[in-house]
Amino acid sequence: MLQTLSLFLGIWLLFLLLAIYYLSQAPDGRVGRFRESVSEHLSAESRAKALLREMLSENQYQQLIKFGYLEVPSPSIDNRVYRIPGSGGLVKVYERGCAVMELCLQPAEPLPDGDVVVMHKLMIEANEEEYLQKANHFAPGIISLRCQHL
Amino acid sequence: MGMLRIMSRRGDERIVWDLEKAETSDSETVAAIREAERIFNEESARGATAFRVESGKTVERIEKFDRTAEQIVMVPRVVGG
Repeated sequence: MLQTLSLFLGIWLLFLLLAIYYLSQAPDGRVGRFRESVSEHLSAESRAKALLREMLSENQYQQLIKFGYLEVPSPSIDNRVYRIPGSGGLVKVYERGCAVMELCLQPAEPLPDGDVVVMHKLMIEANEEEYLQKANHFAPGIISLRCQHL
Repeated sequence: MGMLRIMSRRGDERIVWDLEKAETSDSETVAAIREAERIFNEESARGATAFRVESGKTVERIEKFDRTAEQIVMVPRVVGG
């Protein structure tokens, strides 16, 4: 029984190695392209992280790392806070500590998560009214699924 | 330094120029500013929003390219989800 299992495992490993060899030799460089795409993704994420560090204060950055969200106080409405999730999803709006609504606003082209956080922050701080106009509003807690990029 | 940062799927792309030389005819600075302004206008036409971000100041939305800005961040067009 053990011998049969070892044989199957050996054959499976051989096929895996052959597949890797075949892909690495492929003229269209599929593995190379995959590697490039992974490296591009990592580079985008690291740039986004650098932008986040520059745009947020130390306290704000620590809040994002620790709790997974960034809170931005409303520039025009007393006791209102926008809670921006660090890894996508709806922005929750709190007034005096109570959730009052959730907002969905996304970039038309996909951005790294860190850039999306900065995007929300800049829009809220620079033109809250327009931000609220553009976002879709939901009652709190109704939608909790992550919004997909359009 | 002046800087234009454009958010994209690859992370932000940057163009940097020397603020102190912005009003001079230094060829390298002039070229960088021209390129930054061209990209600013192109991205704005595609629906991007630009913000002037300067340390210790409130973030400001801008409609026109400002060569004297410390940093301009451009966010692509947004849509309600």
